[in-house]
Amino acid sequence: MFKKILIANRGEIAVRVARACRELGVATVGVYSTTDKSAYHLRFMDDAVWIGDSPPQASYLNIEKIIDVTKKSGAEAIHPGYGFLAENAQFARACEDAGVVFIGPNSKALALVGDKVASRTTVKAIGVPIIPGMEGLTEEMSIFKNMAKEVGYPVIVKASLGGGGKGMRIVYNDEELESCVAAGRREAKSAFGDDSVYLEKYVDRPRHVEFQVLRDHQGNVVHLFERECSIQRRHQKIIEETPSQALDDKLRAKMGEAAKKVIEAADYTNAGTVEFLLDENKNFYFLEVNARVQVEHPITEMVTGVDLVRHQIMIAAGERITLKQDEVSQHGHAIESRIYAEDPENNFLPSPGKILTLVEPSGPGIRVDSGIYQGCDVPPQYDPILSKVIVWAETRSMSISRMSHALQHYIILGIRNNIGFLKRIMDTQKFIEGNYHTHFLDENEADLISKHDDIGIALIAATFIASEKKRVYDARAGTRAELQKSMTPWRELGHWEICGH
Amino acid sequence: MEFKLQYFDKQYSVTLEKKDDLYGVVINDEMKYQVSDFVRQQNIISFRLNETIYNIYFAEDRDKVYVAFGGDSFIFDLEKRTTAGARRPVEERGNSVSSPMPGLLVKVPVSLGDKVAAGATLAIVEAMKMQNELRAPSDGIVKKINFKEGDQIDAFQPIVELDIE
Repeated sequence: MFKKILIANRGEIAVRVARACRELGVATVGVYSTTDKSAYHLRFMDDAVWIGDSPPQASYLNIEKIIDVTKKSGAEAIHPGYGFLAENAQFARACEDAGVVFIGPNSKALALVGDKVASRTTVKAIGVPIIPGMEGLTEEMSIFKNMAKEVGYPVIVKASLGGGGKGMRIVYNDEELESCVAAGRREAKSAFGDDSVYLEKYVDRPRHVEFQVLRDHQGNVVHLFERECSIQRRHQKIIEETPSQALDDKLRAKMGEAAKKVIEAADYTNAGTVEFLLDENKNFYFLEVNARVQVEHPITEMVTGVDLVRHQIMIAAGERITLKQDEVSQHGHAIESRIYAEDPENNFLPSPGKILTLVEPSGPGIRVDSGIYQGCDVPPQYDPILSKVIVWAETRSMSISRMSHALQHYIILGIRNNIGFLKRIMDTQKFIEGNYHTHFLDENEADLISKHDDIGIALIAATFIASEKKRVYDARAGTRAELQKSMTPWRELGHWEICGH
Repeated sequence: MEFKLQYFDKQYSVTLEKKDDLYGVVINDEMKYQVSDFVRQQNIISFRLNETIYNIYFAEDRDKVYVAFGGDSFIFDLEKRTTAGARRPVEERGNSVSSPMPGLLVKVPVSLGDKVAAGATLAIVEAMKMQNELRAPSDGIVKKINFKEGDQIDAFQPIVELDIE
């Protein structure tokens, strides 16, 4: 096992990794940018090193600096978390060259699965179904146009090195294509440092079901079942649950085996997620491999009892997986809600700023993975994720009820956030019935926007607080008026000081 | 005591009166509440209304009051100062565009003197990895560009100004 690990990330995931390290008795080195000098994750690290200015390119995406800092700190391995450099094959190679272990897949497998286009070819070859679309990269707009025509609109433009919905655009006609490709390129460049995008047929109203897989360097492979991630806004998941309502045992076993085949075909090591789209007729198509620990990994941990981040570290250290496929099972039901600094009532516009009040929910079966504290500033430079609420209960309906109440008692004041919006999803009949797809949010928008039924109660509360504030203001104004009336010659003389030296 | 609270674009006139241990709250002369057992501690206030006890977290910051209730957070502005503005569509602000959020000015695809049509993209601002396109409120000619690509900008600062015929 390693003695020291550098965690090349920030926010809740850096905290999550630090916790796993602590439990393994491994020392941690945290990193931070200028704006993050008092960020929450640093409180969990044994050591912390500044790695650059606030823009991600200067700090959390700065490969050279991060490797340099790792070598100087004496850390033997780097955990990249998710986002930033997590799926950057160039970074994984730089680690290998520097003699540092990258806690993730080997750089060759990472390059393969990171290249969405190449991985489609690999997967097609082993007989796992893929969505029709481009099987090569190009700058030529005409090739995009021809492919779109061939598979038929609507199509989807995706970042080749993408993930997390960044750089993704649905295109409905020829006129939009060029600007969507350009926008996708810009977003991809900023999120992943590479602007290549490709195009495939857009599957309408699918469910998004993914399988968690672990594979060690000895070739042992096990899947830890599915996560249903169909509740998305702007192609980004905001709620995930497991087990999925869409799978029966037979389909679950079939998809699990397909997921393992994909991981083996890519000679992939460490934790990976194989994403599938499931259409209305329960046909599944390979989407991509997410070569990282995922934001939604905790729900798998809750139902299987397997600590995924600890396994990532153990596999990277060369240890064998001792889990056997027929010994892992799903127990109960888990849901995750992602808390974002954004305004659901205003097109999910990001809302950076200061958190004035923070109260986290607690109780049986409730877990909060957080990256914030009361009084912290949420900087505008990074992803708006603040924290995640994860619940576990014996049944799905108990789990939904538990989440609804956990969200109701999660207080974040000072910046706009999506807590109320997430709670309304939990309370929506269609979600409770479990028969939903990736367009759920668009189709149920009307039910999900706050009706402000509670404005009366909120106004009463505000009235009490405001009246006290006003009293203080008035008192101050009064004092000022008094002062002006009693102006003395001293004041009229202006600035003066007592003789000192 | 009488004063005004603003929630998004709605203004509420409220009065608060204390009589012994009871409080009367009147909102817009129509909603009338009788509240008792008022307690304020640190960042939480409690009161009783119609047999129900409410425990409500709040925060204060300059001219704003934040109240959490039922999973939602309500942001009230005191007196007649306008709201956070994020709500107010950029289009309403006449002859310039500004970003409703602080961020990085990624692109200004227009130059001084350009003739632009209503809805044309005048600037692209990125915050928290989301790109927001700011569009021309009406037809016009680009009169002033106050920032350059790569600048960090604050919310509600005019980025591009137009001459509107």
